Amino acid sequence: MSASNLFMKPGFVRAPLQNGVGRYVCQLQRVVLKFCKTHGASRGLRDFIEQDLVEFAKGNPGVVVYLKPRRHRGPVVVAEYLNGERIWMNMHNKTHSEITKWIETLRTQQGDVSATRLRKYQYTAYPSIQGPWSPFTFREPELNTAELPDVKFGENNRLPTSATEQLRLLFERQRLGDGQEKTAE
Amino acid sequence: MAMIRAGLQRFASVFGNGQGGILSKFITNLAPVENKSLPETTKDVIATCNKLAKEQASRNFAIVHLLGKQWRVTDGDLLVVEGYWPPNIGDEIRLDKVLLAGTKDFSLIGRPLVQSGLVDVTATIISKGLSHTRTHFKKKRRKQFMRVNFQRAQQTILRINSVEIGDKINEAPNNAF
Repeated sequence: MSASNLFMKPGFVRAPLQNGVGRYVCQLQRVVLKFCKTHGASRGLRDFIEQDLVEFAKGNPGVVVYLKPRRHRGPVVVAEYLNGERIWMNMHNKTHSEITKWIETLRTQQGDVSATRLRKYQYTAYPSIQGPWSPFTFREPELNTAELPDVKFGENNRLPTSATEQLRLLFERQRLGDGQEKTAE
Repeated sequence: MAMIRAGLQRFASVFGNGQGGILSKFITNLAPVENKSLPETTKDVIATCNKLAKEQASRNFAIVHLLGKQWRVTDGDLLVVEGYWPPNIGDEIRLDKVLLAGTKDFSLIGRPLVQSGLVDVTATIISKGLSHTRTHFKKKRRKQFMRVNFQRAQQTILRINSVEIGDKINEAPNNAF
Protein backbone atom coordinates (compact mmCIF):
# COMPACT_ATOMS: atom_id res chain seq x y z
CA MET A 1 0.00 0.00 0.00
CA SER A 2 1.63 3.14 -1.15
CA ALA A 3 0.86 6.77 -0.43
CA SER A 4 -1.13 6.98 -3.65
CA ASN A 5 -3.35 4.09 -2.68
CA LEU A 6 -7.06 4.87 -2.45
CA PHE A 7 -7.51 2.75 0.62
CA MET A 8 -4.50 4.13 2.51
CA LYS A 9 -6.05 6.79 4.63
CA PRO A 10 -3.90 9.77 5.51
CA GLY A 11 -3.75 11.05 9.08
CA PHE A 12 -2.01 13.20 11.63
CA VAL A 13 -0.01 12.23 14.70
CA ARG A 14 -2.26 11.68 17.67
CA ALA A 15 -1.99 9.96 21.01
CA PRO A 16 -5.09 8.42 22.62
CA LEU A 17 -6.28 10.02 25.89
CA GLN A 18 -3.35 12.46 26.23
CA ASN A 19 -1.05 9.52 26.79
CA GLY A 20 2.27 10.49 28.33
CA VAL A 21 1.18 13.89 29.66
CA GLY A 22 0.75 12.83 33.28
CA ARG A 23 1.95 9.27 33.06
CA TYR A 24 2.41 6.65 30.40
CA VAL A 25 -0.12 3.82 29.96
CA CYS A 26 0.68 0.80 27.80
CA GLN A 27 -1.88 0.79 25.02
CA LEU A 28 -1.94 -2.97 24.42
CA GLN A 29 -4.83 -4.53 26.38
CA ARG A 30 -5.24 -8.06 25.14
CA VAL A 31 -3.33 -10.62 23.09
CA VAL A 32 -4.86 -13.84 21.80
CA LEU A 33 -2.47 -16.48 20.50
CA LYS A 34 -4.24 -19.03 18.31
CA PHE A 35 -2.30 -22.12 17.28
CA CYS A 36 -2.46 -25.82 16.44
CA LYS A 37 -0.78 -28.39 18.69
CA THR A 38 0.25 -30.70 15.87
CA HIS A 39 0.80 -28.73 12.66
CA GLY A 40 4.30 -27.62 11.67
CA ALA A 41 3.14 -24.11 10.73
CA SER A 42 2.50 -23.38 14.40
CA ARG A 43 5.92 -24.60 15.49
CA GLY A 44 7.39 -21.12 16.06
CA LEU A 45 4.37 -19.95 17.99
CA ARG A 46 4.44 -23.12 20.12
CA ASP A 47 8.14 -22.46 20.86
CA PHE A 48 7.30 -18.92 21.87
CA ILE A 49 4.55 -20.13 24.19
CA GLU A 50 6.84 -22.71 25.79
CA GLN A 51 9.83 -20.45 26.28
CA ASP A 52 8.85 -16.77 26.45
CA LEU A 53 5.15 -16.44 27.21
CA VAL A 54 5.40 -16.62 31.02
CA GLU A 55 8.12 -13.98 31.02
CA PHE A 56 6.02 -11.80 28.73
CA ALA A 57 2.95 -12.08 30.97
CA LYS A 58 5.00 -11.34 34.10
CA GLY A 59 6.66 -8.33 32.50
CA ASN A 60 3.38 -6.85 31.32
CA PRO A 61 0.78 -7.14 34.10
CA GLY A 62 -1.51 -4.76 32.21
CA VAL A 63 -1.85 -7.09 29.22
CA VAL A 64 -4.31 -10.00 29.20
CA VAL A 65 -2.92 -13.03 27.38
CA TYR A 66 -5.20 -15.74 26.01
CA LEU A 67 -4.14 -19.03 24.44
CA LYS A 68 -6.49 -20.67 22.00
CA PRO A 69 -5.45 -24.08 20.67
CA ARG A 70 -7.36 -24.97 17.50
CA ARG A 71 -7.02 -28.25 15.73
CA HIS A 72 -5.62 -28.02 12.17
CA ARG A 73 -5.90 -24.24 11.85
CA GLY A 74 -3.20 -21.74 11.06
CA PRO A 75 -1.32 -19.83 13.80
CA VAL A 76 -2.64 -16.32 14.39
CA VAL A 77 -1.95 -13.51 16.86
CA VAL A 78 -4.65 -10.95 17.58
CA ALA A 79 -3.84 -7.80 19.55
CA GLU A 80 -6.45 -5.42 20.94
CA TYR A 81 -5.71 -1.85 22.04
CA LEU A 82 -7.16 0.74 24.39
CA ASN A 83 -8.50 2.82 21.54
CA GLY A 84 -10.54 -0.13 20.29
CA GLU A 85 -8.31 -1.07 17.38
CA ARG A 86 -7.57 -4.69 16.65
CA ILE A 87 -4.64 -6.16 14.73
CA TRP A 88 -4.89 -9.63 13.22
CA MET A 89 -1.56 -11.12 12.26
CA ASN A 90 -0.86 -14.43 10.55
CA MET A 91 2.09 -16.32 12.03
CA HIS A 92 2.21 -19.15 9.47
CA ASN A 93 5.67 -20.76 9.40
CA LYS A 94 7.22 -17.87 11.31
CA THR A 95 10.20 -18.78 13.44
CA HIS A 96 10.49 -18.30 17.16
CA SER A 97 12.68 -15.17 16.90
CA GLU A 98 10.44 -13.60 14.27
CA ILE A 99 7.41 -14.11 16.48
CA THR A 100 9.26 -12.63 19.47
CA LYS A 101 10.00 -9.49 17.44
CA TRP A 102 6.47 -9.15 16.09
CA ILE A 103 4.92 -9.52 19.52
CA GLU A 104 7.33 -6.90 20.88
CA THR A 105 6.20 -4.55 18.10
CA LEU A 106 2.56 -5.25 18.89
CA ARG A 107 3.23 -4.50 22.56
CA THR A 108 5.05 -1.21 22.03
CA GLN A 109 2.87 0.43 19.40
CA GLN A 110 -0.29 2.38 20.10
CA GLY A 111 -3.08 0.88 18.05
CA ASP A 112 -2.92 0.15 14.35
CA VAL A 113 -0.19 2.70 13.52
CA SER A 114 0.67 1.31 10.13
CA ALA A 115 -2.88 1.60 8.76
CA THR A 116 -2.52 5.35 8.23
CA ARG A 117 -0.02 7.37 6.27
CA LEU A 118 1.28 10.19 8.43
CA ARG A 119 0.98 13.61 6.78
CA LYS A 120 2.97 15.44 9.42
CA TYR A 121 5.61 14.07 11.76
CA GLN A 122 4.90 16.54 14.52
CA TYR A 123 1.80 17.68 16.37
CA THR A 124 1.60 20.90 18.33
CA ALA A 125 -1.35 22.74 19.83
CA TYR A 126 0.69 25.96 19.86
CA PRO A 127 2.07 26.58 16.36
CA SER A 128 3.48 29.98 17.27
CA ILE A 129 4.55 31.45 20.60
CA GLN A 130 6.16 34.73 19.64
CA GLY A 131 3.47 35.37 17.03
CA PRO A 132 3.68 34.60 13.33
CA TRP A 133 6.02 36.79 11.32
CA SER A 134 4.57 39.36 8.98
CA PRO A 135 6.31 41.95 6.78
CA PHE A 136 5.45 44.59 9.41
CA THR A 137 7.06 42.76 12.34
CA PHE A 138 9.99 44.73 13.79
CA ARG A 139 9.28 47.72 11.53
CA GLU A 140 9.28 51.36 12.64
CA PRO A 141 5.90 52.44 14.01
CA GLU A 142 6.40 55.62 12.00
CA LEU A 143 5.27 53.60 9.01
CA ASN A 144 1.74 53.43 10.45
CA THR A 145 1.10 57.13 10.03
CA ALA A 146 3.19 57.80 6.95
CA GLU A 147 1.50 59.00 3.80
CA LEU A 148 2.40 56.56 1.05
CA PRO A 149 4.10 56.75 -1.41
CA ASP A 150 6.85 58.16 0.74
CA VAL A 151 10.44 58.88 -0.27
CA LYS A 152 11.85 57.59 3.00
CA PHE A 153 9.98 54.27 3.02
CA GLY A 154 9.92 53.85 -0.70
CA GLU A 155 13.64 54.15 -1.33
CA ASN A 156 15.46 51.07 -2.45
CA ASN A 157 18.45 50.81 -0.15
CA ARG A 158 18.70 47.06 -0.19
CA LEU A 159 20.86 46.73 -3.29
CA PRO A 160 24.61 47.32 -3.03
CA THR A 161 26.04 50.36 -4.87
CA SER A 162 26.81 49.52 -8.46
CA ALA A 163 30.27 50.13 -9.93
CA THR A 164 28.93 53.03 -12.05
CA GLU A 165 27.41 54.64 -8.98
CA GLN A 166 30.65 54.22 -7.02
CA LEU A 167 32.64 55.85 -9.84
CA ARG A 168 30.18 58.75 -10.01
CA LEU A 169 30.43 59.33 -6.25
CA LEU A 170 34.24 59.19 -6.42
CA PHE A 171 34.27 61.70 -9.25
CA GLU A 172 31.94 64.08 -7.44
CA ARG A 173 33.98 63.89 -4.25
CA GLN A 174 37.15 64.65 -6.21
CA ARG A 175 35.54 67.61 -7.92
CA LEU A 176 34.38 68.92 -4.54
CA GLY A 177 37.91 68.55 -3.17
CA ASP A 178 39.36 70.46 -6.16
CA GLY A 179 36.99 73.34 -5.57
CA GLN A 180 37.95 73.48 -1.88
CA GLU A 181 41.66 73.47 -2.66
CA LYS A 182 41.20 76.28 -5.06
CA THR A 183 39.43 78.33 -2.43
CA ALA A 184 42.11 77.49 0.13
CA GLU A 185 44.94 78.84 -2.01
CA MET B 1 37.75 86.56 3.63
CA ALA B 2 35.93 83.46 2.44
CA MET B 3 39.22 81.95 1.37
CA ILE B 4 40.74 82.45 4.83
CA ARG B 5 37.73 80.97 6.60
CA ALA B 6 37.80 77.87 4.39
CA GLY B 7 41.49 77.48 5.03
CA LEU B 8 40.97 77.68 8.79
CA GLN B 9 38.21 75.08 8.60
CA ARG B 10 40.50 72.75 6.72
CA PHE B 11 43.23 73.29 9.28
CA ALA B 12 40.82 72.57 12.14
CA SER B 13 39.55 69.44 10.47
CA VAL B 14 43.11 68.07 10.20
CA PHE B 15 43.57 68.26 13.97
CA GLY B 16 39.99 67.47 14.92
CA ASN B 17 38.87 64.16 16.35
CA GLY B 18 36.61 63.50 13.42
CA GLN B 19 37.25 60.77 10.95
CA GLY B 20 40.61 61.10 9.28
CA GLY B 21 42.03 63.64 11.73
CA ILE B 22 45.59 63.27 13.03
CA LEU B 23 44.50 62.95 16.67
CA SER B 24 42.11 60.11 15.82
CA LYS B 25 45.09 57.79 15.83
CA PHE B 26 45.58 58.40 19.54
CA ILE B 27 42.00 58.51 20.70
CA THR B 28 39.86 55.43 20.34
CA ASN B 29 36.32 54.69 21.31
CA LEU B 30 36.96 50.96 21.76
CA ALA B 31 37.90 49.86 25.26
CA PRO B 32 40.20 46.83 25.55
CA VAL B 33 38.28 43.54 25.59
CA GLU B 34 39.54 42.48 29.03
CA ASN B 35 38.25 45.57 30.79
CA LYS B 36 34.91 45.62 29.03
CA SER B 37 32.06 45.32 31.53
CA LEU B 38 28.39 44.86 30.77
CA PRO B 39 26.59 48.12 30.12
CA GLU B 40 23.70 48.95 32.42
CA THR B 41 21.05 48.36 29.77
CA THR B 42 22.38 44.86 29.07
CA LYS B 43 22.27 44.06 32.80
CA ASP B 44 18.70 45.29 32.93
CA VAL B 45 17.74 43.13 29.96
CA ILE B 46 19.28 40.03 31.51
CA ALA B 47 17.62 40.74 34.85
CA THR B 48 14.25 41.19 33.13
CA CYS B 49 14.70 37.94 31.20
CA ASN B 50 15.61 36.12 34.42
CA LYS B 51 12.54 37.54 36.11
CA LEU B 52 10.31 36.48 33.20
CA ALA B 53 11.84 33.00 33.24
CA LYS B 54 11.23 32.70 36.98
CA GLU B 55 7.66 33.95 36.82
CA GLN B 56 6.96 31.66 33.85
CA ALA B 57 5.09 34.56 32.32
CA SER B 58 4.39 32.75 29.05
CA ARG B 59 4.79 29.42 27.31
CA ASN B 60 8.35 28.32 26.53
CA PHE B 61 9.60 26.75 23.36
CA ALA B 62 12.90 25.28 22.30
CA ILE B 63 14.56 24.04 19.16
CA VAL B 64 16.16 20.69 19.86
CA HIS B 65 18.45 18.58 17.75
CA LEU B 66 17.27 14.98 17.62
CA LEU B 67 18.67 12.30 15.31
CA GLY B 68 19.93 14.76 12.71
CA LYS B 69 16.75 16.79 12.63
CA GLN B 70 15.77 20.00 14.34
CA TRP B 71 12.40 20.19 16.02
CA ARG B 72 10.63 23.19 17.49
CA VAL B 73 9.03 21.83 20.64
CA THR B 74 6.80 23.13 23.39
CA ASP B 75 4.90 21.45 26.24
CA GLY B 76 2.59 18.67 25.08
CA ASP B 77 3.98 18.29 21.57
CA LEU B 78 4.11 14.95 19.77
CA LEU B 79 7.13 14.06 17.64
CA VAL B 80 7.62 11.10 15.34
CA VAL B 81 11.21 9.94 15.02
CA GLU B 82 11.94 7.58 12.15
CA GLY B 83 14.56 4.88 12.08
CA TYR B 84 16.29 2.74 14.66
CA TRP B 85 16.40 4.41 18.06
CA PRO B 86 17.03 2.47 21.29
CA PRO B 87 14.68 4.16 23.85
CA ASN B 88 11.68 2.00 24.67
CA ILE B 89 8.08 2.81 25.60
CA GLY B 90 7.56 4.51 28.94
CA ASP B 91 11.14 5.83 29.06
CA GLU B 92 11.53 9.40 30.16
CA ILE B 93 14.44 11.15 28.50
CA ARG B 94 15.99 14.58 28.52
CA LEU B 95 16.74 16.25 25.20
CA ASP B 96 20.08 17.95 25.82
CA LYS B 97 20.96 19.43 22.46
CA VAL B 98 19.05 22.68 22.69
CA LEU B 99 19.88 25.05 19.83
CA LEU B 100 17.50 27.81 20.82
CA ALA B 101 15.06 28.47 23.62
CA GLY B 102 12.55 31.21 23.99
CA THR B 103 9.38 32.57 25.50
CA LYS B 104 6.96 35.15 24.17
CA ASP B 105 9.27 37.99 25.12
CA PHE B 106 12.83 36.81 24.64
CA SER B 107 14.95 34.17 22.90
CA LEU B 108 18.20 32.51 23.92
CA ILE B 109 20.25 31.61 20.88
CA GLY B 110 22.93 28.96 21.26
CA ARG B 111 26.33 29.08 19.58
CA PRO B 112 25.62 26.36 18.51
CA LEU B 113 24.07 25.00 21.72
CA VAL B 114 22.54 26.81 24.65
CA GLN B 115 24.74 26.19 27.68
CA SER B 116 23.95 22.95 29.50
CA GLY B 117 21.78 23.17 32.60
CA LEU B 118 19.98 26.31 31.51
CA VAL B 119 17.17 24.76 29.47
CA ASP B 120 15.50 21.52 30.48
CA VAL B 121 13.52 19.63 27.82
CA THR B 122 12.01 16.31 28.95
CA ALA B 123 10.07 13.79 26.91
CA THR B 124 8.33 10.42 27.28
CA ILE B 125 8.37 7.65 24.69
CA ILE B 126 4.76 6.80 23.91
CA SER B 127 4.87 4.35 21.08
CA LYS B 128 7.30 2.33 19.01
CA GLY B 129 5.78 0.88 15.91
CA LEU B 130 6.24 0.56 12.18
CA SER B 131 5.21 3.02 9.51
CA HIS B 132 2.80 2.18 6.73
CA THR B 133 4.23 0.08 3.92
CA ARG B 134 6.02 2.27 1.43
CA THR B 135 6.34 1.01 -2.11
CA HIS B 136 9.49 1.69 -4.07
CA PHE B 137 8.46 1.21 -7.65
CA LYS B 138 11.09 1.49 -10.37
CA LYS B 139 10.50 0.93 -14.06
CA LYS B 140 12.47 1.72 -17.17
CA ARG B 141 10.46 1.82 -20.33
CA ARG B 142 11.41 -0.50 -23.23
CA LYS B 143 14.30 -1.92 -21.17
CA GLN B 144 12.62 -4.93 -19.54
CA PHE B 145 13.41 -3.47 -16.11
CA MET B 146 11.04 -3.31 -13.20
CA ARG B 147 11.56 -3.52 -9.44
CA VAL B 148 8.98 -3.30 -6.71
CA ASN B 149 10.36 -3.04 -3.20
CA PHE B 150 8.37 -2.67 -0.01
CA GLN B 151 9.68 -1.21 3.17
CA ARG B 152 8.47 -0.14 6.59
CA ALA B 153 10.45 2.17 8.84
CA GLN B 154 10.52 2.10 12.62
CA GLN B 155 8.60 5.00 14.11
CA THR B 156 8.97 6.22 17.68
CA ILE B 157 6.43 8.70 19.03
CA LEU B 158 7.62 11.14 21.69
CA ARG B 159 5.56 13.29 24.00
CA ILE B 160 7.29 16.47 25.15
CA ASN B 161 6.55 16.82 28.85
CA SER B 162 8.21 20.10 29.71
CA VAL B 163 10.36 22.86 28.32
CA GLU B 164 11.79 24.80 31.22
CA ILE B 165 14.16 27.75 31.15
CA GLY B 166 16.09 28.33 34.40
CA ASP B 167 16.41 31.83 35.80
CA LYS B 168 20.20 31.78 35.59
CA ILE B 169 20.86 33.44 32.27
CA ASN B 170 24.38 34.89 32.10
CA GLU B 171 25.62 32.71 34.95
CA ALA B 172 28.75 30.64 34.47
CA PRO B 173 27.91 27.30 32.84
CA ASN B 174 28.52 24.01 34.60
CA ASN B 175 30.41 21.96 32.07
CA ALA B 176 28.45 18.75 32.01
CA PHE B 177 29.84 17.58 28.67
